[in-house]
Parts: sequence; C-alpha cells; structure tokens
Amino acid sequence: MTGPGAGADAGHEQWLVQIDAELDGELSLVERAALAKHLATCARCAGARASQLEVRVALARSAGNPHAFVVPRPSIRAGTLTLWVVIALAAGLVAGWAANRRWGGPGAGTTLEESRGTIVVQ
Amino acid sequence: MGLSSFSSLLIALSTLQGPGTRLTYRIRVIEPAAVAPRILASGRVSGPIDSDMRLTLRTDTAEVEALFQVTPVGDTVSLAGEFFARRNVGRSRRGLPLWEEDTYRRLVRLTWSDTARIYPFGVGKGGAEFGTKAPRGLWVELILEREFAGGEARAAEALELADSTQDVRLEAVVRPRRARVILNLVRGDTVSAPRPMDLVTGEPPRVVQLVLRGRATTLVVSLSRPDPPRSARERVIALDADVVCLSVAPADTRQPLGTVCGRLNNVARQLALPSGDTLAATFSWPGWR
Repeated sequence: MTGPGAGADAGHEQWLVQIDAELDGELSLVERAALAKHLATCARCAGARASQLEVRVALARSAGNPHAFVVPRPSIRAGTLTLWVVIALAAGLVAGWAANRRWGGPGAGTTLEESRGTIVVQ
Repeated sequence: MGLSSFSSLLIALSTLQGPGTRLTYRIRVIEPAAVAPRILASGRVSGPIDSDMRLTLRTDTAEVEALFQVTPVGDTVSLAGEFFARRNVGRSRRGLPLWEEDTYRRLVRLTWSDTARIYPFGVGKGGAEFGTKAPRGLWVELILEREFAGGEARAAEALELADSTQDVRLEAVVRPRRARVILNLVRGDTVSAPRPMDLVTGEPPRVVQLVLRGRATTLVVSLSRPDPPRSARERVIALDADVVCLSVAPADTRQPLGTVCGRLNNVARQLALPSGDTLAATFSWPGWR
C-alpha cells in the first residue's frame, strides 16, 4: 500500500535507524546534532527513541547493569585528535610569525639605540 | 712635573673657582611642527658649580628622567647625562600596560654658551644622521653658562610651561656638604632643649650632651652619606641627593645605637635609645654663608 504518508514513513524509518545507531554510540557529532534537531520537532521519533531507551534500560537492568541508561558517546579517534592538534599548532605558529613580521614584538619598530636619548652639540 | 701637567693642574684648579662661580642650565623644550617648531616650556636651573639638573619629560607612551652633570675643563665643559627611560610597549594578556625600563649614560664635550640639543626620546631611523632625518618627538635645547656671583650659592630653579598639558619638570640637584641637625631628647610629653649643630659629612664624630629632666645624656654623632640606592631609577637620577644619615653612639663605647637617615626637609626622625628616651633628629639645609 502506498499513500500520501509513504514518503514520510520512509523518512521516519531512516530516523529510527539513526536513533538505533545513536543509542549504540555509532553516530558522529554532526549526525547526533541533526538527530537532536529532528527529535525536537518530531514527537513520533522522540517517542520512538524514548521507547527504545526504556527497552534497553529494562534489558540492561535485568542483566544486572544499573547504569545502562547512559547513552554511549561517540569516541574521538586518537589519530583524528592528533591531526587537529597539529593543524591548530601550525596555524598558531604561522599566524604568530606573520604578526611578528608585520607588527614586530614588544618594543620593536626601532632598535634600542634609536629609542634612546641623544645629545648633540650645535 | 712637566709643564703640560702643571698647566693642566692650574687649569683644573682655576675651574673650581670656589663658591664665587655660579652655574646655570638654561633649557627650552621644543616640539617639531609643520611650520615652525613650538616651544613647550622654558626654564633655568642655577646654583653652585657642582649643581646638577634633573629633567623629567612624560608622554602617554614614554617617560624620560635625566640627571645632567657638568665638569668644567678649562674653557670647555663636559656634560654628562644619566638617563632613566620607561617606554610603553603594549599590554599584557590581562590588559595591563607593559613598560620597558632602560638606563644609559651620554657624555659630550662643549664650550660654555654652546647649545646642546637633547633628543630624550631618541632620533628616527638613521642614527646620528638626524641632520637629514626628522627626530622622533620633541627635543630639549640646553645652554650652559657660568658667571661670577660673589657669595650667592643658593640653588634656584624656574620653569615656564607654554602648554599646560605637557608634563615637564625641572629640578636643581645639590648634594649637601653640610647639614643643620637639631637634636632633641623626648620622653613622654617632656622634650629637652633643642641642640642645633652644623655637621659636615665625613668629618670626625662630635660629642653632644642633651639634658632631659635634669639628667644629662652624652652621645657621639657623625654625619654620613646614605648607602647607594638599590633601585636603578633612584641611583640614576640621584633621588637621594639631599639625604644624609646621622650615626649615633653612646659616649663610653663606639658601639652605635643606630642610624637615622632623612632628607634636609625639617622633618624630625626618631631613634629609640636604650635609656627609654627617644632621640629626635631634624635635618635641614644649613644657613647660607
């Protein structure tokens, strides 16, 4: 059966898959943000997520894990973190070098001797 | 002794001139302007031949304090300037101003009544070729004069500010050879009769007797210069020029009871004595002879 709500149903199916992946901790930060934005406006998906969560909590508690309601967060891989740190440091070094070339450091602009007083006999 | 050495000695002695010679520093603070330089301040400092002049100039971003001293050598004179400069170099991460401090010395030789031009904030790029380069900021014209002024040895200073927004100060700096010291013994609300003395720095100690409530206290006192100041600024611009120290010891032993230091400004300084009395020493300039 196909009706006017078929497209919406397909969209909801996709969101349900996303909710499932989020509760498994498999979504990236961007995907989590998109899902959170959708949940804020879609009561149906929000309800589905709550149901999923309740089921998971009940199952976990019955398995003896009282902290199962904590949704696992996506982990940041060490390689990615290192790459961003290196990029940030490099950008800071380049900006500092460029600023020093352009404006100089404290007290720069003239040499020390040029900034000192001088006496001239006329 | 060769003839040249002897004549040099005579010239050096003649330049001392005794108390009859009066030295005058005549200055003008000039700001460069598009049409004609503008005189911001003018003034003069005069006094005995060993008088120094302290000049202070402040702007929003720099402060220069300089002490000028002259040494007559025949018909010429050596002008030495001890500079203490502070320059604003920016702000810290917390928004506070950052200053760099610098001390240095300049020395030139000129003849009397020559004009020395002082660039307190330095000159522009080009170093000594400022004849063809615009100087940075204002400059000071200084003329040294000497005259024979009889017994007049009192220092004098005068400054006229043409622009009251400028922070320019001019001071005569004279190091006292003698000081008038007034000693009192104090206990509770009883004060002994004042005992004035003219003391010379570095001369042998003198004995003084003070009587309080019929009981005589004999002390040995001597006048000396204070220790050199620890801060570079105080040392460079001789902020302690008019400070003297009075060492006090009991008559029967040379073990000092203490030292009182102060400016010659008529303010009493106190020293507690083991007897329970307090010695009050007031320093002032001696009477002019």
